[in-house]
Amino acid sequence: MNTNSLIIDRRQFIRLAGGAVLYSIVSSPFPGIAAETGGGFIAEASCSKPPCDVKALTRKLFESAGGMSRFISKGDVVVIKPNISWARAPELGATTHPDVLETVILLCQEAGAKKVRIADNTIHEARNCFAVTGVDQVAKKTGADLVYPLSNLMRDMNLQGHRLNVWPVFTPFKEADKIINLPVAKVHSLSGLTLGMKSWIGAVGGRRNALHQDIHQSIVDLAQFFRPTITLIDAIRIMTANGPSGGSASDVAVVNRLILSDDPVAADARACDLFQVQPSAIAHIQLAQKWGLGTTDFSRLTRYQVVL
Amino acid sequence: MKIKHLIYFRRISQVLFLLLFLFLLMETRLPQNVFLDYSQEIAGPKDIRLNYPVMFFFDMDPLILLTTVLSTHKWLAGAGWALAIIGLTLFLGRFFCSFVCPFGTLHHAIGAIHPAAKGRHAAALNEKTPAQRLKYGLLLMVLVSALFGLNLAGFMDPIALLFRSLSVSILPAVNIGVKEVFDAMATSDIKILNLISYAAEIIVSPVLGFGYPAYQTGFAIGLIVLALLFLNRVRPRFWCRVLCPMGALFGLLSFKSLLNLEKDETRCTGCNKCTAACQGAASPRPGVKWEPVECVRCFNCQHICPEDALSFRFFRRKALKYAPDMGRRAVLTGLTAGIAFPLLSRLDGHIHQASDPRLIRPPGSLTETRFLERCQRCGLCMKACPTNVISPALGEAGLAGIWTPVLNMTTGYCEYSCTLCSSVCPTGAIQPITGKEKISGPIRIGSAFVDRGRCLPWTENGACIVCEEVCPTSPKAVVFREADVAGFGAERLRLKQPYVNLRQCVGCGICENKCPVKGTPAIRVIASGESRSPKNQILLIS
Repeated sequence: MNTNSLIIDRRQFIRLAGGAVLYSIVSSPFPGIAAETGGGFIAEASCSKPPCDVKALTRKLFESAGGMSRFISKGDVVVIKPNISWARAPELGATTHPDVLETVILLCQEAGAKKVRIADNTIHEARNCFAVTGVDQVAKKTGADLVYPLSNLMRDMNLQGHRLNVWPVFTPFKEADKIINLPVAKVHSLSGLTLGMKSWIGAVGGRRNALHQDIHQSIVDLAQFFRPTITLIDAIRIMTANGPSGGSASDVAVVNRLILSDDPVAADARACDLFQVQPSAIAHIQLAQKWGLGTTDFSRLTRYQVVL
Repeated sequence: MKIKHLIYFRRISQVLFLLLFLFLLMETRLPQNVFLDYSQEIAGPKDIRLNYPVMFFFDMDPLILLTTVLSTHKWLAGAGWALAIIGLTLFLGRFFCSFVCPFGTLHHAIGAIHPAAKGRHAAALNEKTPAQRLKYGLLLMVLVSALFGLNLAGFMDPIALLFRSLSVSILPAVNIGVKEVFDAMATSDIKILNLISYAAEIIVSPVLGFGYPAYQTGFAIGLIVLALLFLNRVRPRFWCRVLCPMGALFGLLSFKSLLNLEKDETRCTGCNKCTAACQGAASPRPGVKWEPVECVRCFNCQHICPEDALSFRFFRRKALKYAPDMGRRAVLTGLTAGIAFPLLSRLDGHIHQASDPRLIRPPGSLTETRFLERCQRCGLCMKACPTNVISPALGEAGLAGIWTPVLNMTTGYCEYSCTLCSSVCPTGAIQPITGKEKISGPIRIGSAFVDRGRCLPWTENGACIVCEEVCPTSPKAVVFREADVAGFGAERLRLKQPYVNLRQCVGCGICENKCPVKGTPAIRVIASGESRSPKNQILLIS
């Protein structure tokens, strides 16, 4: 029996380990800025007094964080994931603010993106959502592609999560160079809050209504699969009651804030503040930190602040 | 213009009206290019409406007008078109059948492409038969039945029949076939097939619909229309000659029409080409009595006559001895059926006793009695519905209500702010409502109830509360209370168990639609509590 093959000397070990490190850098499934080891940033923008120019605020926010070209390169295919799950008018706060979405698309185009796509697998019937939430109008205005969540755009993939394995994934996210997560901040009866990581439920198909049976682990499983380049949490209007669908102006608070980060956990943790909730109270944020998807310790991040 | 060339004009008209019908059918959907302008200050929720007047063919349908007026004693909006058609028919005869009717055009086209017989045999098939009296019986049945409060016209009105057949049966079936091919291509390992499938689906979906459609009894509706088209093999335009109640109505209206066939017996050589080409089996050949009420004014006979022995001219028929051959038996049968159907149909108790819990009508629907006076079972609401929740009824509305719209929450749900179906109903069985009225009313279509024997948190099988998440009202109709339960594992569970607040619930059914328990979901909507029926209420004060 040849035992030599099982014995690795020190030199071989170093070579192997180096290779593994190199491999893990090169083969990262979603290229972008990984924030696992710190060195990330978090930027916040707010309006000091109403009325708030949302478009200007969005631009200022990106300027403060070093401009969109820091994240988007020339020729990139960018997929933006707003939260447009509900066929609700924008002022009901159930969906991403169209002005924020529009500005982000324009910034991507200005940064030289080859193609900008908007993709979300909605809960309400998609055409209705597109028409009512303003996203269709934004797409027409900016020339971005609004991808209808057709069943044949769902492809079974192995999410390699703790709870979720093979699951249909909305293919635009697979075919993107850069992904921008653009959720709206809302309360949610089961997951506590609907922020960035929760929003990835809109990037898969299949039996999504079963995810609720272990919602926090499912969110983290999805968050480790979908790694956005940046997360921009729209807190222009936040839903403080009756979430996540809302339906009444009294469920909505206008706070005119935006939170941008390359660390999905930090972005969500920062947004907890909007609801006077500790990040530690939201199980999936804690779990995501434990799994190394990001940090809730803002001192490890570069911080930017803009007030308009 | 020499009247002889009318045949070309007729063909053009047939093609144009058929295309218009198909176009309006296709456009009966949530518009693809319409969106609400969010940058405007929105005073209240706006409503999405269709881009085209898709009710046009129904507006000019005199049978729908007549039966609705008989059953409701009220005029219909848009009656002007139907009155114009009636007026023209008084002068021109059954021109509608040959110039406008899309169903007639289909029958005509089948006969033209593949005739049931040729030459002598074709002429034999085009002889008038006593069976043609049947349509007058059917017409009488429909009219009398409407007088007794049951509108049966839609079963056999050619416009309603064709629209229903295409929109809930033929096109959805094509859609399923096409989508299955696309889905097979999309999962293929060959990249180019994936791309073709994406591209094709993006083109086809806006026309045929997104996703896999489902319509209860769509199978039967499709078989019936295919059978009716197949009958052209038995006898050309079998439907138009023997069955069509609208043809019968036009026939009766053309009793004294001014556009008539003049036969010149001195020129006729007896070749009988005219009969072989006759669409209505109206005895065009000289020597026999012409049948003005059977004639569909297709002008084939005068066009084909090699001797110019036949010509259509405007004149008063002198021999007014002619009475339409309706047949006493057909008339009596029609009358009897017309009285019997509305009364027999009440025996199932749906109107006077308790209605079926599954009989959930679209928002804005009239009370059941008023609804059955108007509904044409045409399928416009079903086609327009963006979530595929409206299906043709099978047993939910009793025998009288077969194919009337009913909401099936397992195939779709009623979108909270959507009022498309109410905007397309041609007879107002579903009254036009705005999203604001629907929400602020609120217009309830039913009430949801939790089935604790199925619900995951109630059976201690785990967390869920999807129903609460998707509930669209504010405050939510589905609420939860936390409970400590034993569960089936080592640890005790703290679960959120759903309850329904009936004062908030509008019966939209999204909870039922999204419930992870499929088949018979753990939360279901029944018609009780629907706003349209004062009798069908649950709470003392809602």
